[in-house]
Amino acid sequence: MKLAWRNLINDRLRFAVTIVGIAFAVFLMVFQGSLLAGFIRAASKAIDATDADIWISARGVDCFEFATPIPRRFREMAMGVPGVAQVQRIAVGFTLLQKPTGTQQMVLLVGAEPGVGSSFPIPYIAGTSGPVLTESLIIDKSNTRALNIMLTPVSTEVGYNRARTSNIIDGFGSFFGTPYVFTEYNDAARYLGLGREETFFLTVGIAPGQDVQTVKRSLQSELPEVDVWTRQEFSRRAELFWIGKTGAGGALLTAAILGFLVGLVIVSQNIYATTMEHIEEFATLKAIGASRGFIQRVVLSQALSSGIAGSILGLVATYPAINAVRGSIPWIFTPWWLPLGMIGVGLLMCAAASLISVRKAVRVEPGRVFRA
Amino acid sequence: MHNTTTTALLKSGKQDACPTTLAVQGLSVAYGSASARTCALDDVSLAFKPGQLSLVMGPSGSGKTTLLSVLGCLLSPDSGSVSVMENDVTGLSEEEMGSVRRAFIGYVFQAFRLFHSLSAVENVMLGLEVFGCGGARARAIALDLLDQVGLAGKSRLKPDQLSGGEKQRVAIARALAKDPPIILADEPTASLDSASGTQIAKTLKGLAADPGRVVVVVTHDDRWRSLSDRTIQLEDGRVISDDGDQK
Repeated sequence: MKLAWRNLINDRLRFAVTIVGIAFAVFLMVFQGSLLAGFIRAASKAIDATDADIWISARGVDCFEFATPIPRRFREMAMGVPGVAQVQRIAVGFTLLQKPTGTQQMVLLVGAEPGVGSSFPIPYIAGTSGPVLTESLIIDKSNTRALNIMLTPVSTEVGYNRARTSNIIDGFGSFFGTPYVFTEYNDAARYLGLGREETFFLTVGIAPGQDVQTVKRSLQSELPEVDVWTRQEFSRRAELFWIGKTGAGGALLTAAILGFLVGLVIVSQNIYATTMEHIEEFATLKAIGASRGFIQRVVLSQALSSGIAGSILGLVATYPAINAVRGSIPWIFTPWWLPLGMIGVGLLMCAAASLISVRKAVRVEPGRVFRA
Repeated sequence: MHNTTTTALLKSGKQDACPTTLAVQGLSVAYGSASARTCALDDVSLAFKPGQLSLVMGPSGSGKTTLLSVLGCLLSPDSGSVSVMENDVTGLSEEEMGSVRRAFIGYVFQAFRLFHSLSAVENVMLGLEVFGCGGARARAIALDLLDQVGLAGKSRLKPDQLSGGEKQRVAIARALAKDPPIILADEPTASLDSASGTQIAKTLKGLAADPGRVVVVVTHDDRWRSLSDRTIQLEDGRVISDDGDQK
């Protein structure tokens, strides 16, 4: 379809405007999509970082961050359920951390027992298992500025108890404004003032060869006072809570949908305008006998050529922009499939927009060719 | 898919030139709604024989362009019939009319109607591509046609780099690309200077010398009369004179 391509590049300024428009649409969709994907991932990050097969929480707990206590004895009861190999406790709660400057910062303190999972931040003495450091805190590098902790170790206070920030990690940046601070379970329980007979979550590892759903049903039957979830179920529940029941998640979801709609409108307008600019040429094509299919191929080729060029430009612009905002939005995340999906969506939008404009092109009155 | 008429039409060709390649019978066309209805053509009957250059003349609003649109299968008449290659094409669907145009009719427009993004040779090739002929063969045919109209050295130039006369010669080459038995030209010299106009007129006259081809030219330009085989005068949508039988 030489005519399609030549039509596009003949008016370079128009073509540039078209591909910049499409690039902006793709940029908007990928950027907003990355914000949404990052938010969703961050909302379940702590849950997904464990190796647990099953999570046990108090009734009605929607997410990791807002938990209510359950009796500690449930741990022993869970251990007695057939198929259960191990049970760890996790304590979560908001408390105050005193910065080196003397001011205080609200943090979400998380403490887990060793064995909860090698990816879960626990202050081990060495590596990702074994003995743990006591009175030791781990913070995320995205929160170092907020907590005024640039170097470790540094002494501090958390929950009015003496502690020491010993390590800075990456990948557990807060997505809701309050920094995460990790420590080992017993210290967390003490800092949070958790009663001796209480805990917040129980994570269950099942024995090899056991069926997760069967063990889950057994646990639920044994512990009817709590909620029992597979890790995937609790992870999805947390994501849905943050997306659907909080203003931040709702705003991001809305922005992503709006980004998609704005992109759709921009692409449609550009493709439609490009087609209409050549409407006289389509009339001529029709007059000299070009079939409907021939004209459709020209319009579709124009749309897809613009779409491919615009999508590539949009993606080229997206990655630097995402890296640039990563400092202030550490949880932004672009899944590998998102750019590919958005290119696909962009091309589909171009094709859909061309379907609208192609109607004009194939319905153009060929007799207009005799008007000078 | 073509219907029987179209299929039969497409199987015929210029080689089997008909006594009347193009004809209209009892043709009427009106524009506008009932209250402001304007009759563009009123009971027009004409037959065009191959090997003739026919002029359609008349004042503005006399129905020349409407007649050309109907002859060129670009407009369906309100009443009457149109026949191409002795086959009635009245009432064909839009897509079928397109097939007829593609196979049998070449157009030359007052405003040239070239594609500005394409070079001269690519414009001519386009006339073949819509016909299903592309690639090296189309290029060879297009270059040969440009050579025939005296533009061999300008095949790579775009329309913006050509004079008015040269543009019209490219348009003629495009119209000839599929070697159609019918050439319809609408004011082909109106946008040209005198010298270029004369050259184009002679080119079209040369095309009409082909015994298998009908050439119909709508024009205001009296200089064409000396070249024509037949002059049809229209006024208010009616044929007021036709010297076809006298010449």
